[in-house]
Amino acid sequence: MSASAVIPADAAPAAANPASGQPVVAVRGLTKIFKDFWGRPRAKAVDNVDFEVRPGEVFGLLGPNGSGKSTTVKMLLGLLYPTRGHIEVFGHSPRHVATKAKIGYLPEESYLYRFLDSHETLDFFGNLFDLTSAQRRQRNEELLEMVGLNQVRTRVVGEFSKGMQRRIGLAQALINDPDLVILDEPTAGLDPIGCREVKDLILALARRRKTVILSSHLLSDVEDVCDRVVIYYGGRVHAMGSLKELLVQPDTVRITAPLLSRQTMEKVLAIIRQDVAAERIQIDNPTQNLESYFLEVVRQAKERLAETSGAISGSRVAAYLRGDAESAPETDKVLERLTLSAAPKAVESAPAPAAQGAPKVDQARLESLAKAAAPEPPSPSLSPPPPVDMDKANQKLSSLLGPPPDR
Amino acid sequence: MKKVLAIAGLTWKSAFRYRLFWIMAALLLGAVVGLPLMLKDDGTAKGLVQILLTYTLGAVSTLLGIATLWLSCGTLAKEVEECQMQVVTVKPIARWQIWLGKWLGLLALDAALLALAGAAIFALLQWRSGRLPAAEQKILRDEIFIARAAVRYHPPDLSGEIEKRMRQRVKDPAAMDPATLAEIRQQITGDVRSSITEVTPGHRRRWGIDLHSLRERLGGQALELRVKFHTANPDPDIRYLTGWIVGPPNSPQQVGIEQRLPPDSFQEFQIPNVLDDKGILWVDFLNPNETSLSFPMEDGFELLYPESTFGVNFVRGLAIIFCWLALLASIGLAMASFLSFPVAAFASLGLLLMGLSSGTLSTVVEQGTIMGYDSAKGGYSHSPIDLVIVPAFGVALKIVKLVESFSPVDSLSTGKSVTWGELGLAVAQIVLLLGGVFCVFGIICFTRRELATAQGNV
Repeated sequence: MSASAVIPADAAPAAANPASGQPVVAVRGLTKIFKDFWGRPRAKAVDNVDFEVRPGEVFGLLGPNGSGKSTTVKMLLGLLYPTRGHIEVFGHSPRHVATKAKIGYLPEESYLYRFLDSHETLDFFGNLFDLTSAQRRQRNEELLEMVGLNQVRTRVVGEFSKGMQRRIGLAQALINDPDLVILDEPTAGLDPIGCREVKDLILALARRRKTVILSSHLLSDVEDVCDRVVIYYGGRVHAMGSLKELLVQPDTVRITAPLLSRQTMEKVLAIIRQDVAAERIQIDNPTQNLESYFLEVVRQAKERLAETSGAISGSRVAAYLRGDAESAPETDKVLERLTLSAAPKAVESAPAPAAQGAPKVDQARLESLAKAAAPEPPSPSLSPPPPVDMDKANQKLSSLLGPPPDR
Repeated sequence: MKKVLAIAGLTWKSAFRYRLFWIMAALLLGAVVGLPLMLKDDGTAKGLVQILLTYTLGAVSTLLGIATLWLSCGTLAKEVEECQMQVVTVKPIARWQIWLGKWLGLLALDAALLALAGAAIFALLQWRSGRLPAAEQKILRDEIFIARAAVRYHPPDLSGEIEKRMRQRVKDPAAMDPATLAEIRQQITGDVRSSITEVTPGHRRRWGIDLHSLRERLGGQALELRVKFHTANPDPDIRYLTGWIVGPPNSPQQVGIEQRLPPDSFQEFQIPNVLDDKGILWVDFLNPNETSLSFPMEDGFELLYPESTFGVNFVRGLAIIFCWLALLASIGLAMASFLSFPVAAFASLGLLLMGLSSGTLSTVVEQGTIMGYDSAKGGYSHSPIDLVIVPAFGVALKIVKLVESFSPVDSLSTGKSVTWGELGLAVAQIVLLLGGVFCVFGIICFTRRELATAQGNV
């Protein structure tokens, strides 16, 4: 039996040892006011924002739509100019051309040339980074393999689905092996497998001490990969810090254990009730999150259906992006830890109601949990689910992905 | 350079992927082949050339010009509006490199299409000329399928004479209003020019053209005289008797030539190559008619001599058209650097129209007013707005003349040489000077532009 407070960012070394030294990005008093034709203020998109992003950090810009995240990102990239305030990226203005060689950017939409195919797209952007022909060829191969588009390399981007466009967009953002990767809603339009791959990639980049700025309104994305976040609302920063600082509830503890007999459970509860009022204790079966479950279903489905006309699930992170800092087994361990940690996190992510008045211990529920005939606990992501559940999941998957190709 | 070429290659690739190149090529070839089919020539060498060279080259220039303007606006403005430019500008490429890459891409496209159309015209010309009667073929060979350089008569400086007459006529200029003063000056200028260009009945006029630098090159080769005159009666059916004496004055080398020529059109005839000791060719004109003949100062008298082959001349003519296209590309890109696509296209076309309406500009500048002639008053009306408009039109006219002073289509269809010097001047004036101004303006605007404004996100 062990208390668990697993925060995914702990898995990334960068979080365990936040880098010191010059910040990669420094923002001071950043303000952006959009004006109309006559120069009259129309909207204050960003209002007096300060933050720093340190080397090797996965930094999240979190906020609802229209909160100023994308505007901040575009100012960091020199696509918009601040009305007031100061930005430094690698110690230079965002408009400093040479500095851009260290940056990779994935915009919130696919803003790629629709008439180019995947290979030509990467080759074009590789040229802008002055990569040699051999470098471009090698990276194209690895990136297309990584994002799962190597089978559709001759199809033009205009024919791609939204998810495939995101994948090629991600590939172009990484063609230069950037030190700073800025991802604006990177998982938008991606299927769960793609989302997981993107998150894996972010973690792999972080392991190589690359700095990642992730702008998203998808809380799970940010929670899974970010070391620190700023939370925007109405153009202002309302919270900033590491996820541990922001999310941990120091006055609450979680205990997870294998299935216990009724007697043992009652003993444990009796001990706990000595210190804590009954209404503040909550018991349930941990569940894995939908993402993990979905991934397992797809893994099994893939074993049966080999072909697809769209993007295939990407393979390992491109070799040049993995670099020497990472070995395959370690990556797998990180991913494994992330996958396994998802279940307790899902429960932990909603602690507020418990603090405000958790439901009383339901004796009947307790009994049902303790009964030998109780249903099998949901299998963790690495063990296959029962056949009946698998069929249902396959049906759901079919409705999501469309009918399987004829064989 | 690799980055610039990558952007240029992208423009080129998009033209092929969107089939624009093939559509343009089909349109151009359609114009080249279709025009001569629709417009039947009169069976003469000049009729054939009029259709095969003048019309087709004109059509090709117009089609390519409009396409260039449209494409140049689209290639930049659309990419800004559709946000592809956001992904490009965050890469380590300066905005001037993007701009230049776009421009070079457009030029490459224009060059390919112009070469295609030019080759088609040349081939068609060779093929059709072989079907003309022998006499017409000879005219074609001697007068058109040749590159003859022109030496113009340089008129004397008339400003001294004009000032002298002004002083005689206006005793106290300070007491006179500026508009009236300008009108008097205009009249006197006209009078002085007439005294130089007009040959009254029974009188003669002499031109001396310095050919000493060409003496060795010309050897004893005969020359062509190209003249144009105006009369009070511009009926083209009337042939005026003209007498010409060529050779050093009062020398036995002088040769007399008689020609009956129509007014208001360029006429050419052969004259002997008899220079004096200093290498000057003297030509006297005698007017035996009962009406005055006026030879325009700018192009009333020219001497032509063989300079190169028609093929080389044709390529140089196309090169000048290419210079125009390069200018149009820089105008379109400059407008697209700070305007949205439709506004940029509209503004570019507006500039083009202004350039084409140089006649109006010229009239306003000459008359010193935009109000025109007032018959009730018996003179030109003036308005305060003239104080701004007339100088502005003057500047615009000077700019337009930098472009309009080249006429490769006319030169090619009259067998006149488009010299290397002329081509160099076209490159300097049209591409480097005017194109450069638009280029600098466009790059400054594009560099300062925010590429991710809300308006940019369509």
